[in-house]
Amino acid sequence: MKMAWKEMMKYKMRYIILGSIIFLISLLTLSISGLANGLSQDNAALIKNMPEGTFYMEESAEESYNFSSLSDSQINEVKNIDDNATFFSIQMGEFNDSEEQKHSLAYVSASDDQHFPAVEQGEIILDQSFAEEGLAEGDTIGNELTDEDLTVAGFVEQEKFSHSPVGFISSDDYSSMYDTDTFQLAFSTESDAAVDELSAFSNDEFLNTIPSYSAEQLSLNMIIAFLYVISGMLFAIFFYMINVQKLGTFGILKAVGVKTITLFKMMWAQMFIITVISLLLASGISELFNIFAPSGMPFHLTLDMILYSSAAFIAIGFVGATLSGIQIKKVEPMQAINQGGA
Amino acid sequence: MALFQLDNIQKTFKHGTTSEQILQSIDLELTKGALTALTGASGSGKSTLLTIAAGLQETTEGTIRFEDKTLTAISAEQVREVRAKHFGFVFQQAHLVPFLTVKEQLELMLDTAELKWSKEKRRSRIKETLESVGMWSHRDSQPENLSGGEKQRVAIARSIIHEPKMLFADEPTASLDSKRSAEVMSLIQGLSKELDITVLMVTHDEDVLQYADRTVEMKDGKII
Repeated sequence: MKMAWKEMMKYKMRYIILGSIIFLISLLTLSISGLANGLSQDNAALIKNMPEGTFYMEESAEESYNFSSLSDSQINEVKNIDDNATFFSIQMGEFNDSEEQKHSLAYVSASDDQHFPAVEQGEIILDQSFAEEGLAEGDTIGNELTDEDLTVAGFVEQEKFSHSPVGFISSDDYSSMYDTDTFQLAFSTESDAAVDELSAFSNDEFLNTIPSYSAEQLSLNMIIAFLYVISGMLFAIFFYMINVQKLGTFGILKAVGVKTITLFKMMWAQMFIITVISLLLASGISELFNIFAPSGMPFHLTLDMILYSSAAFIAIGFVGATLSGIQIKKVEPMQAINQGGA
Repeated sequence: MALFQLDNIQKTFKHGTTSEQILQSIDLELTKGALTALTGASGSGKSTLLTIAAGLQETTEGTIRFEDKTLTAISAEQVREVRAKHFGFVFQQAHLVPFLTVKEQLELMLDTAELKWSKEKRRSRIKETLESVGMWSHRDSQPENLSGGEKQRVAIARSIIHEPKMLFADEPTASLDSKRSAEVMSLIQGLSKELDITVLMVTHDEDVLQYADRTVEMKDGKII
């Protein structure tokens, strides 16, 4: 470690350049990870906030929840496997506020309040973002699907679906608005048993049935994966070039008896120091951005994500540096002795 | 009494379908504490013999014995351990680690030899060794700030800091002028006597031979 640090201090500029590039790549990776997670929350916070369980949807709906409509017999079958199952529906819609301004939202109605807020007939509980737009508790809102106004009964944090804020309404209001007396989906935390004519989905599988969710996440995750690969290659190329310049020194050190593993440890220590400093800076800046980003921006970076990303960067840096270190293993003391040196 | 013994050492290099024998049945015994100079014309095989003796390259045939160990019969890792603990090296160029100070070059060698010395003993040994080569005042200098002769003196200090039993020197004065060359040779000779180190040194410099206890001349891969 001491030798690694000494060398870095001696040749500061080359290590600062590498560190700067790693810092920029890690900052970009964390930013895109934050954006991917933010978009994921924006697209599906309603589902992501639910506990792990099984979602049931009509088989004939072909994985499009809005085409699903559970029959009474299907509802009974789900109740047979889990008496506490929740039934719910989601419909994209809109409402007009007291100033006749239109707002789009996803109406959600459920059979009980196990996983969603309890709401009385004639009331609506809205996502917090509407409060930021000026709506307040007690305000009334209307829409073209019903003559009855709904009173805002409260707000909930981060409840979004398909990039729209959610409004929770009672099943009676939902029935009158959409002229239906059933639900689209069932959710059970206790059973994942197969039910005739219903498709079962885990939470992650259900997220992928949301239009655009998987396409959006795959694109961003692809970029993140490429950034990891680039950082690994960068370490490999950088240490390859540095090691080529140091082969003479390595050869002499091997000649006097220094173990090859000691030379590898020196390189790993340098990789570790550069990566940790770069990650600390990148994490700090990302976290500041997380705090100060405009509220409308879908950016959500968690400590877990920072820790996983950092672990991935360190692991990839280790692999990249080790691959480039094959030269260290190959170098013969004789090569170095026959060359000039300090 | 022989501390180091070479028996029937042969070295052949293969170039495609042809082969070239560089060393032919070399037998050599080195007496404890003696400074032996290997001399001969360029291409006579003296440097090859030195590097083979030091365990830096393998023999084609033959046996190398150091104390009770047969270096040609043990693993590469065991040979490395012998090099680290019992051998010292001085090369034509100083080959100092460019980012370590003079003192750190010696500390590195002590770490490599894995000696269980106290911090106090390490400190005093480093001071003593650097004083013996006249480099204590340069202990915090970087190699780039030293002259050729100073670098070579640091290289000598590095080669003896861990109290080796053998010192291998390959043309240690080749890059120095005659004055510096004499200084370095006096130093090697003095340290060899003082610390009872057995020295095998390659040189083609006639002036250097006066410092040797014994001169072994080589020609065409044989001792003559």
